[in-house]
Amino acid sequence: MTRRKFINRLIKTGSVIIAGISCLVKNTNPRKFIRAVRLKKYPGRLKPLRDISKQCKWSG
Amino acid sequence: MKVQCELCPKMCLIGPGQSGECRVRINIDGVLRTVVYGYPCSINIDPIEKKPLYHFLPGTPILSIATVGCNLHCENCQNWEISQANPEDANISAYSCPPDKLVKLTRDNNCPSLAYTYTDPIAYYEYTYDTAKLARSAGIRNVLVTAGYINEQPWKKLLKYIDAANIDLKGITDDFYRRICSATLKPVQNALILAKASGILVEVTNLIIPTLNDKPEQIHQLAQWIKANLGGETPLHFSGFYPRYKMRHLPPTSLKTLDTARQIAMSEGLDYVYIGNLLSRQGSNTYCPGCKGMLIERSGFTILKNRLKDGHCPDCGKEIYGVWK
Repeated sequence: MTRRKFINRLIKTGSVIIAGISCLVKNTNPRKFIRAVRLKKYPGRLKPLRDISKQCKWSG
Repeated sequence: MKVQCELCPKMCLIGPGQSGECRVRINIDGVLRTVVYGYPCSINIDPIEKKPLYHFLPGTPILSIATVGCNLHCENCQNWEISQANPEDANISAYSCPPDKLVKLTRDNNCPSLAYTYTDPIAYYEYTYDTAKLARSAGIRNVLVTAGYINEQPWKKLLKYIDAANIDLKGITDDFYRRICSATLKPVQNALILAKASGILVEVTNLIIPTLNDKPEQIHQLAQWIKANLGGETPLHFSGFYPRYKMRHLPPTSLKTLDTARQIAMSEGLDYVYIGNLLSRQGSNTYCPGCKGMLIERSGFTILKNRLKDGHCPDCGKEIYGVWK
């Protein structure tokens, strides 16, 4: 094996290892959030605003 | 890709398309999204005494909101139909009410304050934060009714815009929090201390559940902790339990148990101890810790008499802890 072939093989192998590690890190280390982003569309049912002056039945 | 929610001590690791324990913070394409922002399931005007807050603008109406979802799963939850619901559940619908509309609604209905309550404002943190910020700039006071299960950084950030809070101290042992609430005690105690240190008005609620947290030694311990860490002037509400959700097998709390708890807490040096969810004449009124004279007389959520003079006892002149105007 010539020196040039050896260096080429070394670079290829190194790249594959680095790509593999970065992929692994990306998948195992989650993105961290404190503030969540608003989802524009509500997934549930919406109702029109009605009389709000009545005391609520819920505790608190 | 998984995301981690760092809002509360549960630190949920959420897979794609999944939600955290609160059911309302969802991982969508690797981004944490809040699905209830601007969509309260409940908007009502309550008397402020219902929160309960007895030392904050007594006798005033407070616009109160909640979205579905909660980061705790207390087996005794009184509002489980909304706190343990998913936004997409067919039997629970919501209003479209972004922060600016909510502030306008509060002002139009002549409410001096806005409460984030019923479920837990920690679950709808971003909605609470943005609304509170807007309300503060409009001269409206902000009130939290919460279990206080939140991490330090977001809690401190939110407290900047809060004027008063009623925070649950559901029990005084970690075991109680783990078994009944699927939470832990330490973060709640930390949230209480931080809230009090931030200068906002803090009142504490303890719901007494027969056989689970009603032993006199537990009440002594709870009152001692409040006195040592929050101060003897911190109002404490003992609330009566009603069989609900997963605890229908236990009896309601008796007035005698609540009265005993009140006596114990006062003997430990707490100045203002109240009884809630059951009618109690003495346990509803505010008395001066100096001369023992009656200052505010209540019946249910109604103020019958308020003798305070600029936040002081009219008889002995003692300053009474609270925000009175």
